[in-house]
Amino acid sequence: MQTLNYEFPAQRPAPRAVHIGVVASGDLEILLQPPAGDDPADRLTVRVRTSVDGFDTVWHEVLERFFGRTALAGRWELNDFGATPGVVNLRLQQAMAAATTTSETS
Amino acid sequence: MTDTHDTDLLAGQTWQQLLARRSFIELDALGRATALLDPGSLRVLAGPFDRLESPWLAPQGITPQADDGTVIARGTVGGRPVVVAAIEQGFQGGGTGEVSGAKISQGLLLAAADSRAGTPTAAVILFETGGVRLQEANLGLNAVAEICSAALDLRPLAPVLGLIAGTVGSFGGMSIAAGLCTRLIVTPQARIGLDGPAVIEQEAGIGEFDSTDHALIWAVDGGEQRVATGLADTLVPDDVDELRAALVDAVARGVTEPGRHRSERLDVLASRLATLDPTAPPDPRELRTLWGADYEPVPATRRAAPATAATVQTRGRTWLGALSGNTEPDCVIPSVIKTETPSAVYLAVVPDPQNRFYRARDGEVGVTESLALAQAVRAVIRADEDKADKRPIIAIVDLPSQAYGRIEEMAGLHQAMAAAVDAYHCARVAGHPIVAVVVGTALSGGFLTHGLQANQILALEDAGVEIHAMHKEAAARITRRTVAELDELAKTVTPMSYDVQAWATLGYCDGLLRADQPDAPTQADVDTVAAAIRDAVVRARTGPRDLSNRLDSDGAIVTRHASRAVRDLLAQQWDSPS
Repeated sequence: MQTLNYEFPAQRPAPRAVHIGVVASGDLEILLQPPAGDDPADRLTVRVRTSVDGFDTVWHEVLERFFGRTALAGRWELNDFGATPGVVNLRLQQAMAAATTTSETS
Repeated sequence: MTDTHDTDLLAGQTWQQLLARRSFIELDALGRATALLDPGSLRVLAGPFDRLESPWLAPQGITPQADDGTVIARGTVGGRPVVVAAIEQGFQGGGTGEVSGAKISQGLLLAAADSRAGTPTAAVILFETGGVRLQEANLGLNAVAEICSAALDLRPLAPVLGLIAGTVGSFGGMSIAAGLCTRLIVTPQARIGLDGPAVIEQEAGIGEFDSTDHALIWAVDGGEQRVATGLADTLVPDDVDELRAALVDAVARGVTEPGRHRSERLDVLASRLATLDPTAPPDPRELRTLWGADYEPVPATRRAAPATAATVQTRGRTWLGALSGNTEPDCVIPSVIKTETPSAVYLAVVPDPQNRFYRARDGEVGVTESLALAQAVRAVIRADEDKADKRPIIAIVDLPSQAYGRIEEMAGLHQAMAAAVDAYHCARVAGHPIVAVVVGTALSGGFLTHGLQANQILALEDAGVEIHAMHKEAAARITRRTVAELDELAKTVTPMSYDVQAWATLGYCDGLLRADQPDAPTQADVDTVAAAIRDAVVRARTGPRDLSNRLDSDGAIVTRHASRAVRDLLAQQWDSPS
């Protein structure tokens, strides 16, 4: 298992906390929490824990591309069990949608 | 052997209904809990943002999940209060770890406390599990014992319902908990068994169980077969609305009358096992006719008295003889021996080379051993019913495992084991001090059945004593590691250790005892152990009759801080939203 930490500029704070996904084979879970009191509202941090070592560059590129388009400030935690970049992207989009839509989410 | 009949996956639905249905199996654990509870009533306790993840996985290079793969939710079903424990099958195959297991047992205990206080609170356990998470071995095994005990604490007060939808199904020790449930609801895709097909093939060869033969697997373990043989209650198609309707009905039925639970019906179990001839076993299809869907006694089969085999001298037999002062113990059956003295009852499972169940000849706990243990323990409870001082039951533990076999699974080994677990729990709650003394190996489901329901657990401090969820070679194969890697990990991950001194730090060891000659105990050895048993009996009489001491011991404070955090957080969030 490898733990990777990233930081990206953000546009606005995440409106609410969101939990998406499962640490299942080829999948990941995402926990997104809005910035706490003293966290900057224009930055986001990402902590990735992945079961597959050695993909630092791929993770950086996938995350950079995603957060380059839409970036909610807060703490993003990704617990990964070998998800492909496509699945990672899908889960990130799902987390974004759940954090920003007005309907009740888990 | 292949059963060629087609399993009816529609379970009575038409194909139009099939197309219109909402699948339950495709939902994750939270989705399942949400689908079963009354709309809007769900409240998750100890959820992902509480971050009660397993402390044991990351050090092994395994990514943890924030809620350890088990959703605990309160809510209502048909307006009645319910706690749901939904196991996420995608995470570690639904394996029971320290945290996920503690979440289930503490949820059950809180439901029991509410029920006692006047608000009957049913429990619904969504079993999707391969069994104990081998990466947390001994703490997972103990967690299963605590779940079984808590389920039995709640069951007289409010229904404990099991729902098994698939696709993982229920395997391993958690199936014993399934066997203790008030009712079981299953789909045709569900499976229930003690040992999974792959493990049986690994332990006993492809001739015993071909784990690639899916028709055989579902013929033996499948939901339809389990309902048709009375080992589960309701067969429902994979449909959210139909499963919810079945659950609403089960919750409304309430508790089952004492003595009528499957795990209490020793008469049924005994009559069923008497019909089985392992040399010419029935085909799973024939078993449906032989046993029927009602869990009621089947016509008696006269069976020749078991041949008296030459006794095999093992540590279990030796210590039972030495401690009870009787080297000629009674045979409950040849593989379960007993000595009753005015002050205690001693029980052990021992090898029987003539055992008609050939997978249980080396001292494994199989179907007949589980029944014999349950009968022996229930007999002690009956004999002491009117006495103020209940005799202690001393479980001498030296067993290699449970019996890994196809016939065992077909017969419902998990259900037989549940009978023994139920009996031990019943004795403990009635006030019999239960003291387990591990003098040899105490592995896996065998230890769950004979030993882990004790108030007090003692063990010899000796290299020949091994307490674990699975023997080393098998655990290595299943977790895809080498034995050398396992040994290395065990140095830092205490619950994985095969060393009894490491086991003793997990919080449920009540005494590690020195013996100079564990294979042939000296008088001094016997005196030491006998004195330790006497002390343990005193502690058991004055201590709690549930298993709460396993979380309050000095060892637990150091090693089981995650379980204690679960207990405290669930209690705190139980009544008030966080």
